[in-house]
Amino acid sequence: MSDEAFTGFAGWLAEPSDPPVEGRPDWLEAQCSLARERLAGLDVPNSKTESWRYTSLKGLMEQDFARAGENMTALQSDDLEEVLIPGLDAYRILLVNGRYLPELSAHEDLPSGVRVAGLRDLIANEPDLLRTHLNAVAPPDSQPLFAALNTAGMDDGLVLFVARGVVLERPIELIHLSVGLDEPRVAQPRHLVVLEDGAQATLVERYVSLGDSIYCTNSVLELALGRDALLKHDRIQMESPNAFHITGLYLTQSANSHYQGVNIGLGASWSRTDLNCRFQGEHAECDLQGLYLAGDRQLMDYHLDVLHSLPNCSSRETFKGILYGRGRAVFDGRVFVAPQAQKTDAAMSNRNLLLSEQSEVDTKPQLEISADDVKCSHGTTVGQIEPEMLFYLRSRGIGASLARRMLCLGFADEVVQRLSSDALRDHVSEQVGQRLESAPMD
Amino acid sequence: MLSVKGLKANVGDKEILKGLDLEIAPGEVHAIMGPNGAGKSTLSHVLSGREGYEVTAGSATFLGQDLLALAPEERAQIGLFLAFQYPVELPGVNNTYFLKAALNSLRKARGEPELDAVSFLRLIKEKLKILDLDDALLKRAVNAGFSGGEKKRNEIFQMALLEPRLAILDETDSGLDIDALRVVADGVNALRSPERSMIVVTHYQRLLDYIQPDYVHVLAKGRIIRSGGKELALELEEKGYGWIDSEGQAA
Repeated sequence: MSDEAFTGFAGWLAEPSDPPVEGRPDWLEAQCSLARERLAGLDVPNSKTESWRYTSLKGLMEQDFARAGENMTALQSDDLEEVLIPGLDAYRILLVNGRYLPELSAHEDLPSGVRVAGLRDLIANEPDLLRTHLNAVAPPDSQPLFAALNTAGMDDGLVLFVARGVVLERPIELIHLSVGLDEPRVAQPRHLVVLEDGAQATLVERYVSLGDSIYCTNSVLELALGRDALLKHDRIQMESPNAFHITGLYLTQSANSHYQGVNIGLGASWSRTDLNCRFQGEHAECDLQGLYLAGDRQLMDYHLDVLHSLPNCSSRETFKGILYGRGRAVFDGRVFVAPQAQKTDAAMSNRNLLLSEQSEVDTKPQLEISADDVKCSHGTTVGQIEPEMLFYLRSRGIGASLARRMLCLGFADEVVQRLSSDALRDHVSEQVGQRLESAPMD
Repeated sequence: MLSVKGLKANVGDKEILKGLDLEIAPGEVHAIMGPNGAGKSTLSHVLSGREGYEVTAGSATFLGQDLLALAPEERAQIGLFLAFQYPVELPGVNNTYFLKAALNSLRKARGEPELDAVSFLRLIKEKLKILDLDDALLKRAVNAGFSGGEKKRNEIFQMALLEPRLAILDETDSGLDIDALRVVADGVNALRSPERSMIVVTHYQRLLDYIQPDYVHVLAKGRIIRSGGKELALELEEKGYGWIDSEGQAA
């Protein structure tokens, strides 16, 4: 399927006619073709579409993409060195331009009850394993545009199963590496993570690139947590500065399950992340944290959609942004509390630090509460570095630019501390510091 | 060491300092006392380079340099230190990291090599003893959630670490109970040396029981209206600022 013509998203939308893929089971082919049919009826969102009000799709639609897909077998382990995080001890799954690369992955000796595989392999060899959950967390008949595109072109990705009661101590690191090719490509990784009842795991999901080429990653994640399951999920988006990045994350949580997601957005010129959470049992907790940096020619757009449809669940949405140069960000957080969802505990906050006059953030936290016995709050701030704080540091001999950087890192620290390991905290702090160091501060 | 001549400074349209003179030699401790609104904090802030003040006349020379022409960090780099009346909380900025950044900024500006982590921690341990400070505070964010006493001790601790030539203690006694005051004063006294000068700015005589000044100046309405030895502080305590105020105006 990598040979066929693909003239970017606009062309694909005009003619969504991917042929059936050989070897796919009928049930999956039916789902993918449902997504293709849906695409034919979906309009490209414009500024009048509420969820795309502040973010233009023009640049993405005009780009002439080819489809990524062939295996990057020429890649050597040396090439990987520059993207690995020192001190991060993890099972490693490598995807290159959307394709799972077992040669450079390292996940031997997984404990029993833990299954890690490439989606493409499972579709070809053990499709029944996928039947319960694939396209179930995010059903094709309700997927928005980019998720539907991902489903229609479903190719490869990570599949992680953790069986009932299994506690996986060592993290799973998923690296999605984009390697620049002659022409801009679009990769559509599709990940599925299933934690059965009582299972626990840590997933570190990273988007990185070699070089600074133009490409697009349109990823979809389906995460299903069983009763009492715990998933720690660190997501670090560090795409090429010229890339487009799209994530649609779909999460379902059974009773007493815990999800702790930390979303770090540092890369790409244009980035859109949709995080969707649905509770399927009571006393579940969903914690969504985020930190984004946007500088010149950079847009970071986050949409959160948390639906409290059952009583006694709690959710936290804590997002912080640092904007500099002509950087732009959008935060649109929606928490919906249904009439029956009594004793819901939800708190959403979005705080932004603007380091320049030209930077901009559009923030829209929304709590829609239809139950009467709930504890819900939301808050949003947009501000500058406090002159008092800056003076305090400078009065100790610290130069103005280092002082500003220290205060920005301090601002970011609340979210950085939520990452699952010191290695990741150091990595993210260092990356944030580097970006701020080269950023114009006035 | 410090020579202030005819210093006038405004906040907005309002003139706060109205021609202030002050001469400080190495090793001297000068107390500056005065009623609220006399301009005590303005003097501290103008000397340390805080924004929001406009110097309209006069000069301040520190170790031969035009102090007022320097950025705040440059003033610190040549040896000026301000212990804040209200130490600023810096959420998320680790105290140890902050102290190391400050010390190494000073060393770098002076052409000295930066301290590595091991030498730095050794130095910190040594200085902690002076202030009887819990080293747990070093692991926390700068001043964040510190008690009033902890904040003031942290200021003096920074002073011990950065070893300034001239330290301005801006109302260091405010908000301290007598025990905390004693600890802070002991710390300050331990840092007195023939090369290090201090300006102790205070409203009350109390602090001067513990930090004995060489000179006492009374600041009122933007000018030093009276200078003397430490006995002047006791006189003030007895008679109140009203006395000096009316006398100063009469003079």
